[in-house]
Amino acid sequence: MTTVLNLNGERKSVDVPDEMPLLWVLRDVLGMTGTKFGCGAALCGACTVHVDGKAVRSCLLSIGELGERAVTTIEGIGVTPVGAKVQKAWLDLEVVQCGYCQSGQVMSAAALLAATPRPDDADIDAAMAGNICRCGTYKRIRDAIKLASSERQP
Amino acid sequence: MKRPSYRITGGGIAIAAVIAAGVAWYVHGPGPIDFSQGPKVALSEYKAADPTGVPATMAQAGLVERGEYLARAADCMVCHTAPGAKEYTGGFAFKLPFGTLYSTNITPDKETGIGNYTDQDFLNAVRRGKRHDGARLYPAMPYTSYTYMTDSDVLAVKAYLFSLPPVISKPPVNTLAFPFNQRWAMTFWSAFFNPDTRFQPDTSMSPEWNRGAYLVEALAHCGECHTPRNIGFALDNRKKFGGALTAGWRAFNISSDTKAGLGGWSDDDIVSYLSVGHAKGHGTASGPMGEAVDHSFSKLTAPDIKAMVSFLRSVPAVTSPDLPDTLAPRAPPSHKEGMTANALGKSVFEGACVSCHGWTGESSISPMATLTGAWAVNDPGATNVAQIVISGTKRYTPSGALSMPSFGNSHSDAEIAAVANYVTARFGSKGSKVTEKDVATLRKQAGQ
Repeated sequence: MTTVLNLNGERKSVDVPDEMPLLWVLRDVLGMTGTKFGCGAALCGACTVHVDGKAVRSCLLSIGELGERAVTTIEGIGVTPVGAKVQKAWLDLEVVQCGYCQSGQVMSAAALLAATPRPDDADIDAAMAGNICRCGTYKRIRDAIKLASSERQP
Repeated sequence: MKRPSYRITGGGIAIAAVIAAGVAWYVHGPGPIDFSQGPKVALSEYKAADPTGVPATMAQAGLVERGEYLARAADCMVCHTAPGAKEYTGGFAFKLPFGTLYSTNITPDKETGIGNYTDQDFLNAVRRGKRHDGARLYPAMPYTSYTYMTDSDVLAVKAYLFSLPPVISKPPVNTLAFPFNQRWAMTFWSAFFNPDTRFQPDTSMSPEWNRGAYLVEALAHCGECHTPRNIGFALDNRKKFGGALTAGWRAFNISSDTKAGLGGWSDDDIVSYLSVGHAKGHGTASGPMGEAVDHSFSKLTAPDIKAMVSFLRSVPAVTSPDLPDTLAPRAPPSHKEGMTANALGKSVFEGACVSCHGWTGESSISPMATLTGAWAVNDPGATNVAQIVISGTKRYTPSGALSMPSFGNSHSDAEIAAVANYVTARFGSKGSKVTEKDVATLRKQAGQ
């Protein structure tokens, strides 16, 4: 079945079954491998993308459920002002270790900052606790979120 | 001097007899469709349409195929299959307060299954709770419901079971404590509580209603979970479909009560819940009801589901005083609003649950994962919330499966209790106060 996706501001036509998870479409059909497969059960956050600006796990979100809502992936997040700030803070503090979970971390952080420009620790916990990092970069992630939210950033 | 004392004794016996008869009458209670006041007639005298058997669309089907449909409608397989075992080979554990009961192998193996059963043996087992060797079955086998099935329907099920490959499989030995391990005592239970009578249509009701009554009562045996039991462990039809706790799960009120029952559901809602295990804004079937949907209701024809709805609609309202009067609306979008206490519950929720269920309770992934509007989160006992967290859940739909992983092994009883209390407080009208100990008990009660 042909579905038109609203993806990173462009319209992409894909021929996939309705029940296919968005993550599969991104990685296997469109070759956009920036979004990672972690657990496939919405437990780790590696596959996080934005749907209408909100952080959503793409591994369980079927194309049928997605409908015409706007999707932003790690490939497109740098275009938004918040996304650019987050990416810069991530580089400034060298948050990444192995990197596997980091596109999901960046997407969750960007969604958090878009909704809550000055998050406190509780806000960061509430938004980021579901994004797991095996390298344990949590402290740098928290610092980078705070840096991105601060006035020190351009 | 002796005569008056005899008189007193005689009078005492008479009074005792009257009291005993009164208690017996009360405990026995009405039958499952006695609430419909119209005249009941024998099937042979009911000419409107045959409420029994398979749907009209299967009129040309062979015996085995008919038996398969009826076995699914009666949901034999779920209880007669242990997790991960071959279908119908038994060994499923019913964990009761007085020990564990295991279901039997009903494949046609002659040694360990029912391969030696004659037609009469099979009828006796299914409708009278009497085994091939004369021993009595425990009423975990719902023969007081199946007793309403016709001869031909029971024997069609037998033909289907006998068409399966025989499997050698011996279920574990029951571990019931005295006096429950005395099977012979079931003779009296059965004599008193099993009507041992076939379905009698109500001529004042529509053929659709009568078909629904046969499906719901004789085959699907909904009351076995959804009707509370009396002191004799038999169904109390004075509170028919008023909801009950069974095997560590809460079977909710499915009477026509507008608050806690199906009175506030549209026909389409009920059809959808039975056919796919979900109705928008009413939650998703999990646990034993999820299994009933997967293996039974989802296999029935649309007219049969509609007939069941027609019957369900007519069941008089029974209230559920322990449930709140209203379902909670969607929760606020910020984690800082709404439920704020319970730091452990919140910490589990934000780590493991929020990515699917959201802070509002409305899932951004699938309506099936939406918590808002579901009775489970509005139950101040939090029974099903805790069970789903422990065991996870999976729904098969026409457009693929959606599953929630189990958290029973990754989270402690204290964490599960805390998150159940957080979830019911945030998304329900009245938060639960489940303890670590309650969760340990719930783990033990669930059948497996």
